[in-house]
Amino acid sequence: MATQTAAAHAITRRQSAPHGWLSEQTITTTLFLLPALAFLVVFIVWPILSSVELSFFEWNGLSANRTFVGLGNWSKLFGDGIFWRAFTNNIIIVVLSIAIQIPIAMALAVLLHRGGRKLQFFKVVYFFPLLMSTVAVGILFKYVYDLQFGVVTPLLETLGLKALSRDWLGDPNVALFSVIVVICWQFIPFYMVLFLAQLLNIPEDIHEAAMIDGATENQYFWRVELHLMRGIIATAITLSLIGSLKYFDLIWVMTEGGPSRSTELMATYMYKEAFASFHMGYGSTIATAMFIIVMIVALTALAIGQRPREA
Amino acid sequence: MKINNRISMRGAWKMMALTLIALTVAACSAPLTQAPTAAPSQAPTSAAAQATQAPAATQPPAATQAPAGQPVDISFWHIQTNGSGPQLIEQAVERFKADNPNVNVENVPLTNDAYKTKIKVAAGAGNAPCIFPTWGGGPLYEYVKSNQVIDLTPYMTKDNYKDRFLDAAFTPITFDGKIYGVPVENTSLALIHYNKALFEKYNLTPPQTYDDLLKVVQILKENDVAPFALANKPKWPGSMFFMYLVDRLAGPEVFAKAATRTGGSFEDPVFIEAGKRLQELVEAGAFQEGYNGLDYDAGGTRALLYSGKAAMELMGTWEASIIKTENPEFYKNLGFFPFPALTDGKGDPKDIVGTVGDNFYSISATCKNPDEAFKLIQYLIDDTSVAARAKDGRIPPVKSFKTDDPELQQILQLIQQAPSVQLWYDQYLPPAVGEVHKDTSQALFGLTMTPEEAAKQLEQAMADYAKQPQ
Repeated sequence: MATQTAAAHAITRRQSAPHGWLSEQTITTTLFLLPALAFLVVFIVWPILSSVELSFFEWNGLSANRTFVGLGNWSKLFGDGIFWRAFTNNIIIVVLSIAIQIPIAMALAVLLHRGGRKLQFFKVVYFFPLLMSTVAVGILFKYVYDLQFGVVTPLLETLGLKALSRDWLGDPNVALFSVIVVICWQFIPFYMVLFLAQLLNIPEDIHEAAMIDGATENQYFWRVELHLMRGIIATAITLSLIGSLKYFDLIWVMTEGGPSRSTELMATYMYKEAFASFHMGYGSTIATAMFIIVMIVALTALAIGQRPREA
Repeated sequence: MKINNRISMRGAWKMMALTLIALTVAACSAPLTQAPTAAPSQAPTSAAAQATQAPAATQPPAATQAPAGQPVDISFWHIQTNGSGPQLIEQAVERFKADNPNVNVENVPLTNDAYKTKIKVAAGAGNAPCIFPTWGGGPLYEYVKSNQVIDLTPYMTKDNYKDRFLDAAFTPITFDGKIYGVPVENTSLALIHYNKALFEKYNLTPPQTYDDLLKVVQILKENDVAPFALANKPKWPGSMFFMYLVDRLAGPEVFAKAATRTGGSFEDPVFIEAGKRLQELVEAGAFQEGYNGLDYDAGGTRALLYSGKAAMELMGTWEASIIKTENPEFYKNLGFFPFPALTDGKGDPKDIVGTVGDNFYSISATCKNPDEAFKLIQYLIDDTSVAARAKDGRIPPVKSFKTDDPELQQILQLIQQAPSVQLWYDQYLPPAVGEVHKDTSQALFGLTMTPEEAAKQLEQAMADYAKQPQ
């Protein structure tokens, strides 16, 4: 860690050192950034701004005439039970994703790290879910959960737990949790790889030093390793947070937000309003609200994650 | 190091210059295609939209009103991507092109769900194709209100062309006495499809009345067969039960009055009673486990029928043609009967829920050659096309249609005898209200909503829509 920081300092110093062609370098940097910036403006900034603009209109998405309704859509949004239900569902996904994915991913990463070459095979296998497209995962698990032809119910029957069997995707009380299980299945490998990379980055001498000082493997993990991983854990949490708030695809494939809105998310609600109900204006309001929420959460998470800490 | 740097810097400059040029080009052309989506307000009227869109379209600017012989382009979207659909369209287009060599047709097949989003974005941006398919009803009316489609009445009345089609085919495409589409593809009725072998095995006959149906349900249930296969994740399959119950209880007027706001209400006792009957079916165990989570598109209900786990399915008649190609062996055992009569109901048991003529083809307001476009549509439903569609197991919505196929014959008879053909609610209603109907119907099936609450929500949605500035 210390060596890394030193190297980083060295780089910064070299870059900021005054050179004869400093201005030229600035221009170069700017020019190199321009293409990316142009694409960002055209494809991201502009659409976001026009969504914000649309959120003040009532528009069916087809007509040449849009009715300006001021803050009408926004006041409707604040009183819209379905939006808040969707928001709550998003929060449930955020909390459960972080609470389930991060610890399991960490456990797997540590296990694979300790096992070294012996567990190489599992390293590859555990990585598989991440390689599948989300739509394929969604369809696959629709079959897994199917009550007539699926595998979950027969499995429970074999275990003598038939009473636990539910209509996994059709029962409003369990549908959200059924989907969250799949989300975790899909994303745990991602965080596992992230953590594994960081574990491999920790110099072996730290481990040796801890052992010489008489630490057990257990103590080493909780007192040393975990602390060295704080940065990456913060990153993982931030990524999970943002991803869960914007979540759309798997839910859309598996439940379309149903039944009875039990798995409705902000993104699925926005899509339905804008494209199925011909409420392009209100759909844009939901999209903008989502953008604001994600923005605030992301900035807060980044600020907390980057807060300087004593080593 | 320094020298190296300088050399690579020079290379970099050159690269930058090239990138910048490429970018300028991209930046200049990007707004052209982007702008309408992002800021449609820039086109205040649809006429202006047409004008500003001209350069972006594939149209050569010269070809405004094409005299015969001058090259003309027609863009044509359709969603006939299953079975022999693509060939049906392709063959008609080829025949049209052979007779009209000056017309270049851009024939774009799209999948159903992708199309629904794509057409909305294209039309909203003033880039709608000349010819595009619709299902009629509420969504088409949105296009009519927004001046996105042209009135086809003059074309339809010319030489009494309209008389070619079944009268029922015009219901979903006629608004304020004007016709906005041409019925072409098929006729679909919601009927109860059943496994004849299973019925024989348990000594059952197609029920004539609702009480008979309940008995059939009970016997099948006792024998561990799910009476109905239902894929209610997409919500519209379950809605068919609700529509039939309403119609059998009270006939088509109650719905029409509520939907057109002519003295009716969705809180009418009929809708509440229909909800109660529906939940009665659910409680009798009429549907397989997990019906509210099962997806229709993946073929979930047909798998249940094929495996003998379920005996019946209330579904559009397209189901029979899918089964015919998917499982010819099972098709031999497939029969169908209309939704049974309610002995205490006022509706005519010959009434049918379904759609005649769907898909309909409309011509967009931005189309520069509507005459040629209409001519092309006529090729899609001329005698050659009708024969080709019949061969594909469809029922084209024309009066002259005759068939030797016994199943098609039976369906044809049902339409001809039907005093009323009720268009699917979710298609008839304004889109936003249709969504609410599908949600409440699914909730009724899930027993998570009372019939009263469902009626109240639907009425609220309809009232909200009626209040909107039109």
